[in-house]
Amino acid sequence: MFYAIWLQIRVVAALTLRETRMTFGTSHSGYFWAIFQPIFSVTFLMTLFYLIGRQSPFGQSLALYFATAVLTLELYNKLSASLMRAFTSNKSLLSYPMIKEPDTLLARLCLIGCTFVVINVVFYTGLYAMGLGQIPAHPERVIFAFLTTCLLGFGVGSVNAILYQKNKAWQHIEKIFARPLFFLSGVFYIPSSMPPEAVAIIKWNPILHVVEWNREGFYSNYRSDVLNIAYPLGLGAALVIVALFAERITRKQRV
Amino acid sequence: MIAFENLTKIYNVKGVKKVILDNASYRFENRKNVALMGHNGAGKSTMMRMIAGIELPTSGRVRRTEKVSWPMGFARGFNGTMTGVENVRFVSRIYGCHTESVLEQVQEFAELGSSLDLPIQTYSSGMKARLAFGLSLAISFECYLIDEVTAVGDRRFKSKSKRALKDKIKDARVVMISHSEKTIKDYCDCGVFAYGSKLYHYDDINELLRDYRKFC
Repeated sequence: MFYAIWLQIRVVAALTLRETRMTFGTSHSGYFWAIFQPIFSVTFLMTLFYLIGRQSPFGQSLALYFATAVLTLELYNKLSASLMRAFTSNKSLLSYPMIKEPDTLLARLCLIGCTFVVINVVFYTGLYAMGLGQIPAHPERVIFAFLTTCLLGFGVGSVNAILYQKNKAWQHIEKIFARPLFFLSGVFYIPSSMPPEAVAIIKWNPILHVVEWNREGFYSNYRSDVLNIAYPLGLGAALVIVALFAERITRKQRV
Repeated sequence: MIAFENLTKIYNVKGVKKVILDNASYRFENRKNVALMGHNGAGKSTMMRMIAGIELPTSGRVRRTEKVSWPMGFARGFNGTMTGVENVRFVSRIYGCHTESVLEQVQEFAELGSSLDLPIQTYSSGMKARLAFGLSLAISFECYLIDEVTAVGDRRFKSKSKRALKDKIKDARVVMISHSEKTIKDYCDCGVFAYGSKLYHYDDINELLRDYRKFC
């Protein structure tokens, strides 16, 4: 039992290091770009909205309101897209007996999760230093929202990996669902002040819930009428369970 | 101990059904070096992959109580964009070995010199085989699965790997696939013949080779 757990940790740690090397390349600047590329793209979008004179829907800082949604969305997108290819791009690894498909998923989760911890810390510290941010009023909510986003990304990404391996066309179908998320996740508006007809639709987007959770963590006076913690948590857990079952059941047919 | 219990393995690829093993039970005798023979396509490599635990049987089970290597011979587990050193480190990590001492042994055995710091995709197939062979020797297994690999590299390397393997099987054993009668005689104490989805045991290598000549 202890041996099995130790083996699992060892394998996932080795795979994570390998993934790190594969995604970032050999040079140290690879790590730099992995962290700063999303930061630059978010900063660019934000600057654009400042220039056209947009007001923040909530609080003083448009940057903070924007970041609380966009960084969450980035984490989710990154996970769901990168895990989708975890099986197909790691085929050679399966010639080592102790490496099974779910390990490759876990390794990518570890790498992306850690990268985004750094990205978030750098970004929010930067905002704070420029006077555009603030210290989270309820840090524990921010952390839970982050972890739940990881769970959702892991669940959707794992399901993606299985479907993508069955049929490569899944990558195009998945995009159809992923694209509108930017508009459905409350990036520019306060979901609670939307008309009820609109809320009835957007509340089915699990990312919206983690965004709202994250904002309740950052702002001391943000109250969301839409947020239901049980929904993203339950959906994430259900997807993970379904994906792992499906992976195990279809393993025999796959080799 | 390695044993097949009521093992069935059926491939179903593109509507073509292929029965590799049909309810076969077989015990690979403890501490004995076992030859695995059969005609091309009999499923010898598949059986080896099942022994290693890479592939699952359709039904039945594989019992394995010793530390078994991955099927040696094809350097499939290497990643082309990573360097030799990085690949060696990765494999020693997943096996829980001390990375630097494994690296040292591989360096000494494979004699690849500074090429070890280059990406694997720049290697020739002989260099890859050297690295793979050196790596599997550096990690201590109780059972080495060898799939037609005693003949890699140039003459000098061949005799070197032969010596190293002979040295290894003093306290480990091999399960070996080979079509070379000389190699089989060199290493194996007993054998198993795969024929018509069944497995047949031979205590005497010469009898195995006789039937191999008759049926393959």
